[in-house]
Amino acid sequence: MLRRTWAMAQKELIQLSRERVLLAVLLLMPVLQLGLFAAAIHTDITHIPMAVADQSLSQASQSYLNALIDSNYFDIVANVSSQDDLMKAIDEGQASVGILIPPDFATQITLGQANVLVLIDGSDSYITNSAYTTINAISQTYAISLTRLPANPLNLSVRILYNPDLNQLWFLVPGLLVALMQGITMNLTALAIVREREVGTIEALLVTPIRPIELMLGKTLPYLVVAFVNMTSIFLFATLAFGVPFQGNLLLFLFLSLIFAATGLGLGLVISTGSQTQMQAQQLGGMFNFVGMFLAGFLFPAYALPLVLRVISAIFPMTYFLPIVRGVFTKGVGLLAIWEPVAASCFLMVVILFAATRLFRQSLD
Amino acid sequence: MGINLQRLGVLIRKEVTQLLRDRRALAFMLGLPLLQLFLYAYAVNTTVYHIPMAVVDQSQDAKSRAFIQALVNSQYFDYTRAMESESAVITAIDDGVVKAGLIIPPDFATNTDRGSASVLMILDGSDSASVTSGYSGASLVAQNYSLGLISEQVVRKTGFQSAGQLNAASLPIVTSTRVLYNPDMIDIWFLLPGLVGMLLQTLAVQQAALIMVRDRELGTVEQILVTPTRPLELVLSKMIPLLVLCLMALGVIVGLGVFWFGVPFHGSLILYFWLALLFIASSLGLGMLVSVRATTQRQAQQSALATMMFGLLLSGMIYPRLSMPLIPRLIGDIMPMTYFIRISRAIFTKGVGFSFVWQDALTLAIYVAIILLVVARSFRKRLD
Repeated sequence: MLRRTWAMAQKELIQLSRERVLLAVLLLMPVLQLGLFAAAIHTDITHIPMAVADQSLSQASQSYLNALIDSNYFDIVANVSSQDDLMKAIDEGQASVGILIPPDFATQITLGQANVLVLIDGSDSYITNSAYTTINAISQTYAISLTRLPANPLNLSVRILYNPDLNQLWFLVPGLLVALMQGITMNLTALAIVREREVGTIEALLVTPIRPIELMLGKTLPYLVVAFVNMTSIFLFATLAFGVPFQGNLLLFLFLSLIFAATGLGLGLVISTGSQTQMQAQQLGGMFNFVGMFLAGFLFPAYALPLVLRVISAIFPMTYFLPIVRGVFTKGVGLLAIWEPVAASCFLMVVILFAATRLFRQSLD
Repeated sequence: MGINLQRLGVLIRKEVTQLLRDRRALAFMLGLPLLQLFLYAYAVNTTVYHIPMAVVDQSQDAKSRAFIQALVNSQYFDYTRAMESESAVITAIDDGVVKAGLIIPPDFATNTDRGSASVLMILDGSDSASVTSGYSGASLVAQNYSLGLISEQVVRKTGFQSAGQLNAASLPIVTSTRVLYNPDMIDIWFLLPGLVGMLLQTLAVQQAALIMVRDRELGTVEQILVTPTRPLELVLSKMIPLLVLCLMALGVIVGLGVFWFGVPFHGSLILYFWLALLFIASSLGLGMLVSVRATTQRQAQQSALATMMFGLLLSGMIYPRLSMPLIPRLIGDIMPMTYFIRISRAIFTKGVGFSFVWQDALTLAIYVAIILLVVARSFRKRLD
C-alpha cells in the first residue's frame, strides 16, 4: 500500500514541478500577502487634515487650537472664514475635519459657556471614528484644565495583555496562518483531483490496482508539503522580519497544525466531488474560505455577530482554529486552556474526513 | 489602428456566446458579489458591544457597584462572572472565557471620596476589535463617571445645590460634533461606496483574466489567428461584453444598497455610472494585462488574485491611505481602484458634482486609453 501511495505522490510531485510559474506563485503568494498587509495596515491615524474657521482670533482660540495641533492628531491645512467654507473644504476632500470657533469665543469662555462646532467628514469610517474620539477627548481635557475643578478623581488604567502596543500585525498573523493552512491544503487538493477528471486521466488511474484511499493520500500528501513550506515561510517572515512574537510551544503548534491541514485536505476532497472543472473547484473553495473568514472571527469577534450568523459559523472549522492559534501563538497558553476548540475541531475533522472518503469513493464509481 | 465595426460585432457575438454557454460559471460570477455584499452588510461591526467581562470587586459597596453598573449600562460590557483575584481574571482571559477584566481595589470607596480612586481594566490583546472597542468604551464610561464625582464634590464644597449634576455640557468649552453625510455613523453607509469598488474590481479583473486564456484553452485561438482581425478589435470584443456585465452588476449592487440596506445616494446617478464605466474599463484592462502571458485559466486566476489584493489593501478602501508610508501609497497610485474609491465616496456619500472629482476621472480616462493600447500591443506580439 505504501509503495502505491508513494508512486502516486511521486507522479503528483513531478506534475507540480513541471508548472514552474504556478509553483513559484504558490510559494511566494503568502509572503507577498503578509508583506502587503504589513505595508497597508496603519490604523493609528495621526495628522488628520483640518480646516479652521477661527472667527474669534483671540488668545483663547489660539491656545485651544494649539492644544489640538500639539496632540499631533490634526494638521491645519486651511484657514477659512465661514462654516460654508469648512463644508466646501470637506466636500472637496481637502480637509477631513472642520472646526468653527465663533467670534465671542473668548468672552464666552470666561462665562464658562463657549461653544465650538466640529464638522467631520463621514465618508471614511476609520478617519471619522478617530477624528470623532480624539477631538472630543482633547477638547474635554483642555476644558477641564481651564476650570479650577479638582483633578480627575477616578483614574482608569488599562492593561492590554499579549499585545500592549496594539501592533496590528500581531493581531493579523495568527489569522493569516489559519487561513493559509486550511485554504491552501483545501484548494490544492481539490484542484489536483479535479485536474485528473478534466484531463480524463482519472479512468487510467482507476484501472490500476491503486485503491481509493491510496489515491486520495497520494494525491494530497505532496500538497501537505507545499502547505508546510508556506506555513514555515510565513512563520519565519512574521517572527524574524516583522518581529511578531511567538509565545507558545512550537511542538504543540506544529501538532495542532496537522489538524488544520487534515481538515483542509478533507474539505478539498469534498469540493472535488462537487466540481467538474478546476475553475469550479477554485470558485467553490474560494467561496467557502471567504465565508469562513468572515464568520470565524478574523475581523469581528464571533460574539458580536447576529445570532443566525453565529449558528452558521459553528460548522466552519476556522471558527475553532482561530482561538487555537491565537491561544498558542499570541497568548502562549497550553493545551489545557484551549481543549474545547481543539476537541471541537478534532470532531469536525473526523466528520469531514469520513464524509470525504465516502463521497470520494462514490464519485469514482 | 482602424476598427472595422462589422468585424467587431461578429467577435463580440462570439464572446457573448462563449460567456453564456457556461451557465454555472456565470451564475457563480454574479452570485459571489451578492454574497459578499450581504456578508459585509450583516457581519461588519466597527464597534463591538457586549464584550464579556469578569469583575473582581474587592470594594463591594455602593460606589463600586455603581461604577460596574455604569460599564454595563454603556452596553460595551457584559458582566459575565465575578472573580476573586487578578490572576483568576488573567487565567479566564487566557482560556478565552472572557475578553476583559475589571479590578476594583478594596479602598475604592474611600479613595473616590478623597478624589484619587483608581481601577484597572485588563483587555484581551489577541483580538483587535474587542480591544479597540473595550478601550474606548471603558475610557468613556470612566470619564463620565469622573465628571459625576467632580460635580458631587463641587456641590458638597460650595453647598450650592442648584449646581445640579455636572456633565460634559457644563464645562467651559463645549464641542458640538457633527458628522457630515453619515450623522449616525452607520457602518453600512461607510462601507457601501468602497464595497462597490471592491466588488466591481473583483468581477472585472477576474473575468478579464479568464477571458484572455479561454480561446487558448478551448483551442479556438488558431481560428482567430487566420482571420484578418486586428489586435485592438480583439481586445475590444472581449472587453465590451464584460463591460455590459459589470454595469449590470453595478446596477444590482447599488440598487440593493439603496433599497434594501437604505444607504442614501446623494449625488448624480448618471455621473456615477459614467465614471464607474471608466473604472470598470480600466480594471478590465488591468485584468487582461496581468494575464496576457498566462496559458491556463488557473494561472490567469492566480495573477488576478494577486492584483486584486493590491487594489483591496492599498486603495484606501479598508485602511486609510492617509497613514500609509510612501511606497505602498505609490503602489496604490497605479491601481484604478484608488481613484474610484475617492470618486465613489464623493458622489455616493457626499453628493458632490463633477467639478469635485474631475481630476480622478481624468486620471481614470487616461488610464483606460493607455492600458488598452498596451494590452493590444502585447496581444499582437502573441499573435505573431
